[in-house]
Amino acid sequence: MNQDKGRQNKLNNDSHAKVGDGKSPAILRFINRKWMEIWKGNPPGTVLLLIGLIVAFIMSVPIVYVIWRSLFAGANSWMRLLGDRIPQLLWNTLSLTAAVTFSAVVIGISLAWIVVRTDLPGKKMWQWMMALPLVIPPYVGAVTYIIVFGPSGWFARFWRESQWLSAIGDYPLNIYSFWGVFFVLTMFTYPYVFLIASASLRKMNRNFEEVARSQGMTTSQIFFKVNLPLLRPAIGAGAILISLYVLSDFGAIAMLRYVTFTAAIYYQRAGFDIPSASVLSLVLILLTILILWLESYTRKKNKFYQTSNTFKEPDTLSLGKWKPWALLFVSAVFMVAVVLPISVLIYWTVIGAGMGAIDARFIGFAWNSIKVSGLAAILCMALATPIIYLKSRHPSVISQTIDKLSYAGYALPGVIVALGMVFIFNNHIPSLYNTFYMIAIAFVVRFLPQAMQSGEASLSLVSPRMDEAARSLGYPAWKVMIKVIIPTIMPGILAGGALVFVSSIKELPATLMLRPPGFDTLAVRVYYEASEAIYHQAAPGALLIVLVSIIPLHYLLRKY
Amino acid sequence: MRNLLSFSLLLILSVFLLAACGENENNAATGNNNDVENNDEAANNNDAENNEETANNQEEVELDGELIVYSARNETFVQALLDKFSEETGVEVRALHEADPLQIQEEAGNVQADVFISNDLGALEYLNQQELLEGFDPANVDSIDEQFRADNNEWIAISARARGFIYNKDMISEDEMPTKMEDLFDSEWADVENGYAITRGGNGGMIGNISALRYEWGDERTSEWIAAIQDNAAGIFEGHGDIRRAVGAGEHAFGLVNNYYYHQQLEEPNDNNVGFIYADQGEDDMGAIANAAGLGMVSGAPNEDNARAFIEWVLEEENQLAFVGESLEVPINPELEPPYEQAVPFSELKVQDMPLKELGNYFEDTRALIEDSGLDLELR
Repeated sequence: MNQDKGRQNKLNNDSHAKVGDGKSPAILRFINRKWMEIWKGNPPGTVLLLIGLIVAFIMSVPIVYVIWRSLFAGANSWMRLLGDRIPQLLWNTLSLTAAVTFSAVVIGISLAWIVVRTDLPGKKMWQWMMALPLVIPPYVGAVTYIIVFGPSGWFARFWRESQWLSAIGDYPLNIYSFWGVFFVLTMFTYPYVFLIASASLRKMNRNFEEVARSQGMTTSQIFFKVNLPLLRPAIGAGAILISLYVLSDFGAIAMLRYVTFTAAIYYQRAGFDIPSASVLSLVLILLTILILWLESYTRKKNKFYQTSNTFKEPDTLSLGKWKPWALLFVSAVFMVAVVLPISVLIYWTVIGAGMGAIDARFIGFAWNSIKVSGLAAILCMALATPIIYLKSRHPSVISQTIDKLSYAGYALPGVIVALGMVFIFNNHIPSLYNTFYMIAIAFVVRFLPQAMQSGEASLSLVSPRMDEAARSLGYPAWKVMIKVIIPTIMPGILAGGALVFVSSIKELPATLMLRPPGFDTLAVRVYYEASEAIYHQAAPGALLIVLVSIIPLHYLLRKY
Repeated sequence: MRNLLSFSLLLILSVFLLAACGENENNAATGNNNDVENNDEAANNNDAENNEETANNQEEVELDGELIVYSARNETFVQALLDKFSEETGVEVRALHEADPLQIQEEAGNVQADVFISNDLGALEYLNQQELLEGFDPANVDSIDEQFRADNNEWIAISARARGFIYNKDMISEDEMPTKMEDLFDSEWADVENGYAITRGGNGGMIGNISALRYEWGDERTSEWIAAIQDNAAGIFEGHGDIRRAVGAGEHAFGLVNNYYYHQQLEEPNDNNVGFIYADQGEDDMGAIANAAGLGMVSGAPNEDNARAFIEWVLEEENQLAFVGESLEVPINPELEPPYEQAVPFSELKVQDMPLKELGNYFEDTRALIEDSGLDLELR
């Protein structure tokens, strides 16, 4: 529709240009020259530019709308929130974010170092096994931990029934606490750091270490003085992913009865206290920006260079007497983060299957999940391609802005995107309000950058000469795009689509907030059944989500 | 080969998108006007063709299309009722469970829901005062006493509940328990084994509870009461189902719930050694805080005919019982046997003298009061 309009406008303009000579040619020429300057003499086609601008608009508008609403929330809401609520939420949110980020970085780095640099038995196998927790969404992980360690869980019963344990005292674990949330989030987010850190450890030049060793440094001194500083960019990238994740998580936090900004926004909007929800959203947006800025600021202060011409593969260190301990550590993490949750899910799925939990309704929910995630994946693939083409072939301030705006929804929590969507659709696009297209569009806003990143990686391998050759043979620009570019970068685009698909299937808060009546997805069902403690109905859906999430793991492992 | 592949992919994609757009417009259009017209047309045709058929049959032929239900209640108590309606009439019911009443208000300019089901009459009466509900005279509405209906039947309550304390008999004995709301001011209850549990302030039952206390005590004392339970409760949960399970399992000694959660816990295969105390039954006490679950038609409902049919259908005696369903509440209609046989009939309870419609006048300020206390965002 919009494309057609764009084309029409263009036609009209053309005819005006021919007929209407009223405008001063000097001004026209000036504008034209400026335009060419912006694009460095290589402006994109109108349609391409229009698509880019429209996407940037769609991507940024929900957030702009939330900020706008929060500014008009009224002094009353602001005063009430600033007095008590915001300081408390800030403390809850920041302490959790800091604690999870720190421990996930420590675990991720140490695992990466052990697995990549030492002679750990079966290190090839550990490399992907340690990344496996990535396939378990934290809210599913939280459910399994409630089943096992909750106040009426397996372990608590075992504690009460066994004599020598209950002699020690009452059951000491309280999963519904800061430490419960902290533990669950750490266990299911550390693989981000692990993957990034192992990649950079593998690329680390041995020369630096050899110099250090020749100066008489011990292995631990080398680790802290040489390896760790060189790992700084990897740690920063991983820490950012994790802290943004903790800021945005709703499912695990709600299930473990903790309240952060994201959960508070969800509850406020569920109670339709929209002004308060927007005010809290604004604070959360500022927090996100602060974290992004903090990372880029500390990174800019130090620069790291590795020379590539004398690159030597890092050597493998012998663990010696530490070998059993290292093996114990690695297996313990694997037990806690993979074996335990998956076995719990399988156990309850078997019971559920026996009780007929996998029925027509279940299949309906699964189909809803596939429908909405599939639509989101297709939209993302279709929209990411023109944007990355625009960015790589027509670099300019404008295309960079479009690119940056596309990341806005990715960095911010899903509740904020959903909040913006509710405003906009309810008030301005009523015909799409309460349809599943609204969820799909929210997914696009959230996950488009995933499709862009993977497409960009492919496009960077295609030389612009290819385009030029095709153009010189008489193809117009759009035909080059369809006949030459898209077929060559197809694998990258499809991989991006798969990533979006999986992220969408796992997504919880936006789906919960935007689902139309009668349209429940697997994620929503898992959340609902688990919060009602109907585990035999929650487990099959959760297991299915985990299985689907394995698809892009292979791609992720190759990427890092 | 590759070109062909990508070309066909693009083709499929564009067809999909076009179809998506088209479908939407259709949906929107039918959702708003056509559906009603079609229904009428179909009904007229049927009238003409099946003149000699019985009225009963006609009624069933008349209904098709869909019905959008927003329900503030827990899904397990409502879904079976909706399924029963679908089965008997052929109307496709699309439900949004655990919806907030204010969503109806937010969508006033773009009405989505046909029927709103709530477990808090305060919410229903509030919506009624905002002129968001529409009344009519359904058959058999007289089976419900007038104090449980809005003036023009904008909402009709079907089942009643009273507040009280569910307790675990293994952990605490009946005479150690608090007997009235006022008792919770005392911080001694923080010291009972494993403490006690309440729901978050955003819960509909808690909102009604606090409105009733404001009616009885005024705002200041009620705020102090909220602060007291907030400080002293060991568990603050999202819903009452969590409380009954936790108390049954011995995670907490007792909890503040509605009476039917006690019935539900007794029906559990294990963890069911629980008792219940109706609050404020003493001679000088205010009486148990009561509330009711009911439903109303949203004004401007997109499927108005189906909404009317649904409300008439719910008022059939068999379906009043289905409305109570698994919740095990007490039906308001005195003719009906409660599904949970041992339930204490309301006539035997001392109930607070506040007319339930009053709850509507308290609804908005109660929410503000709760938000000021922070109880709406507290979970532990």
